[in-house]
Amino acid sequence: MTTQPDSAATPKRFTIPIGPQHPALKEPGFFEFTVEGETVIGATLRLGYAHRGIEKAVVSRTWVQNLYLLERVCGICSHIHSLAYCLGVEKLAGVTPPPRAQAIRVLIAELERMHSHLLWLGVAAHDAGFETLFMYSWRDRETILDLFEQISGNRVNHSINTLGGVKFDLTAEQIVSVLKAVELMEERARYYLDLVRNDPMLGQRIRGIGTMSAAEAHRMGVVGPTARASGVGRDLRVEAPYAAYTAIPVVVMLETDGDLQARFIVRIREMFESCRIIRVLLDHLPEGDLQARMPRRIPEGETIARVEAPRGELFYFIKSNGADMPERIKLRTPTLCNLGSVLALCIGRQLADIPMLLIGTDPCFSCNDRAVVIHQAGNREKWTWEQFRRYGNEALR
Amino acid sequence: MRISTILGMALQSLFRVPATRSYPQERTPSPERLRGQLRWNPEKCTGCAVCVKDCPAVAIELLEVDKAAKRFVLRYHTDRCIFCSQCVQSCRFKCLSLSNEAWELAALDKQAFTVDYGRDEDIHALVEKPASTDDPPRL
Repeated sequence: MTTQPDSAATPKRFTIPIGPQHPALKEPGFFEFTVEGETVIGATLRLGYAHRGIEKAVVSRTWVQNLYLLERVCGICSHIHSLAYCLGVEKLAGVTPPPRAQAIRVLIAELERMHSHLLWLGVAAHDAGFETLFMYSWRDRETILDLFEQISGNRVNHSINTLGGVKFDLTAEQIVSVLKAVELMEERARYYLDLVRNDPMLGQRIRGIGTMSAAEAHRMGVVGPTARASGVGRDLRVEAPYAAYTAIPVVVMLETDGDLQARFIVRIREMFESCRIIRVLLDHLPEGDLQARMPRRIPEGETIARVEAPRGELFYFIKSNGADMPERIKLRTPTLCNLGSVLALCIGRQLADIPMLLIGTDPCFSCNDRAVVIHQAGNREKWTWEQFRRYGNEALR
Repeated sequence: MRISTILGMALQSLFRVPATRSYPQERTPSPERLRGQLRWNPEKCTGCAVCVKDCPAVAIELLEVDKAAKRFVLRYHTDRCIFCSQCVQSCRFKCLSLSNEAWELAALDKQAFTVDYGRDEDIHALVEKPASTDDPPRL
């Protein structure tokens, strides 16, 4: 705890630094909260502690090798990262993966969404002091991880995707176990939805806290379930369908309350939608090949690929100069879009609500650290959207 | 949850061992597709080295004993391998596979992580060339 220089004028005001290593956060991020008594009146954030230089590393690896590097950007949404990369590279090469491959990609993406939401539910429950819910949801998540192991041979980095299609086919037995798991997930999601809506103890930690109106959500540019909990229907599966989503209409789950409880409810309701998509997919699973032939060298050009990750919009920019390695890959993960909203929501709240507000956006620090802008003491500046855009464009050049 | 359910669960827990599964005494069979240690069948290998080129972790080396006679030794670095199965995909002659049984790969010395596959006489021919346990070459 450090006292600010102007403490003589306002004796109750002081700054609390949280992070980069702190028990409340499992990943490194640095927050500085200015509080007056228990009320937060100012918040700043510093990122970059988990910057791994992945964007630099991809330009010295072949297109095939990058598949596995980019899959490891995030440990929870590993499939969606490789999917975004594959979609982009396939677009550049002018290759369309076979329909069966596209269906399997979506199936894995939806299973991954469920497991990500269950993982988040556990972490959020843990931060709210509800350890039983944490244990329950993580136990249920095991069911999906076991499915991944059955289908692909690995629980976390499934490596289902390959350039031009998928590597692993679904057997009849696997389809049966997926359907069985979906049934279990629906039953559990129903239980969690009831719990989140009606549990009085949990309600005290989440009801009416961190309320963000639709207008605020628009202004702060939040994405994914965080935006959908405020009534902003942003979902790339609907707005710009990719892979098998072109054939399967997705129902966007919307809540209008915009508080933490709405963020819980949206994510749990999305699990029902994922279950429905998986059932439709398995009912109409196309037959045929798994892979289309891909060239080793990708034709010159640049493209963007956007997919709906469990946390929101994931963006990939891919540029090729015709060689067997990319010239530039730029990625933006949804956490970066959502973190700004946490800082705005903190103002005026109690200090004890901060961990819950942060966890409400489902942050993933390691995947969002790309580049670092260092503010020196006394040289702080505020960036406008326009400046951010210009900075981003310059970085791409 | 009703009190009777909670009491029932509490009583059950009293007589249960504090473990989900008593590994290693009790093992669950690994799934058929589990990606474990790499296996190589030298019979069909042509030495095209696409596996070496595609490996994202520099875990495979293909050492030539006699190129004309298509005699090679595959030096596999278990500690570098990320078990992504790209080599299995890349091999057009189906020489490579990932074992679903060999997944307990912990060892106390570094040598155990370098495995040479091939015909015995070919491996003997390479004995004078010690296995490299240095850091993998940078990409």
